[in-house]
Amino acid sequence: MIAMKLPTEATLRRIIAFVAALGIGVATYITIADSGGGAPACLAGGGGCETVANSSYSHIAGVNIAIFGIVGYITLLATAFFANDMARFVGFATALGGFGFSVYLTYLELFTIEAICQWCVASAVLMTILFLLNTIRLVGYAGTDGGRVSEEADSGAEPA
Amino acid sequence: MSNKREREKRREERLQEETKVDSGERRTRLLQLGAGAVFLVIVAVVVLIVVNGNEDSGGDAQNLKEVSAVDSLVSGIPQEELVLGDPTAKVELIEYGDLQCPVCKAYSEEFLPQIIENKVKDGTAKVTFRNFTIIGPQSAPAGAAALAAGAQKRGWEYLELFYRNQGKENSGYADDEFLTAVAKGAGVKDIAKWNKEREGSKFTDEVVATTEEAQRLGLTGTPSFAIKGPNSNGLELLGTPGSPEEIEDAIDNAG
Repeated sequence: MIAMKLPTEATLRRIIAFVAALGIGVATYITIADSGGGAPACLAGGGGCETVANSSYSHIAGVNIAIFGIVGYITLLATAFFANDMARFVGFATALGGFGFSVYLTYLELFTIEAICQWCVASAVLMTILFLLNTIRLVGYAGTDGGRVSEEADSGAEPA
Repeated sequence: MSNKREREKRREERLQEETKVDSGERRTRLLQLGAGAVFLVIVAVVVLIVVNGNEDSGGDAQNLKEVSAVDSLVSGIPQEELVLGDPTAKVELIEYGDLQCPVCKAYSEEFLPQIIENKVKDGTAKVTFRNFTIIGPQSAPAGAAALAAGAQKRGWEYLELFYRNQGKENSGYADDEFLTAVAKGAGVKDIAKWNKEREGSKFTDEVVATTEEAQRLGLTGTPSFAIKGPNSNGLELLGTPGSPEEIEDAIDNAG
């Protein structure tokens, strides 16, 4: 079997932590910008962010959806600090949920609100990256214990 | 001695084997769970998108709601263009809004009635609506339609009735038929004149001008409020106040 060399779990965890931290930054900015009744500033001008932030979809039960984003990214950041199956699965499930939600929100932006907010796109991209990283992490390292394992996976040994 | 070592070795091997089987099982279970979660999320996203597509977009021109409620809210209060209240009132509260904006609808239904009742009816303040069109292509024609209704002293009935019958943003509900139904419901007498004026450059330009004004003021969301009075520091921006009481306090402070 020709297997692409899997990055070590430690590397994956480091990248996940970094991307999740970026995500916390983006989601926090959207929340703060929106909290005063305003909207995030679009980098290239245009009113995309205003339209999106003022749409009825920007809040669920009165809570800005960016808050859900912050919670998701914090969870993902936390899972990067542990090397066990629990962290791998919670990380994967959170990133999967976040990715699914991002797909839905991007659909709304394109076809219902008909406006694009770069900050939301940025978050969707980060969440997609996190979903891929966490999938690699789960598939590559589920059922193994911490660091030892990565050598086994690196050598291309298949457990079953 | 060698026997003992042999036994220990076997024992270790067995333990390793068990751990391997155990971790293999754990891995299989986790991957199965993961696959299940992927399936669930795909189903959830598809359901959300389908439900969203089928949702009633509202904004029913054939069946306007709350015509009489709107009438009793503003009847008897002087109005000129989109200014509601005594023209000589010392304090002017300005709302920058978009008729398609759902948050503006909430403000119109939950905040403004209290302001109108407590501060506008007694002549303390007047409220001015200025179009700040940010939601979509139908926002500007709707704003011009309100201005044209204002020219017949029915502007505030128009705004309030529009909000109470607002449909889902950019669903296409705010078409000519809907705008006309709202005009009729708001009591605009000369519909032909209203029709001509709402498409004329005077009001369409005004919508653009007030939107640019809002942008110049640095406003980024609707509704945004501003206030002007003898004790205010020129035009003071209030942002999006969290309660009607906050707006009342601002009126008291400015007056």
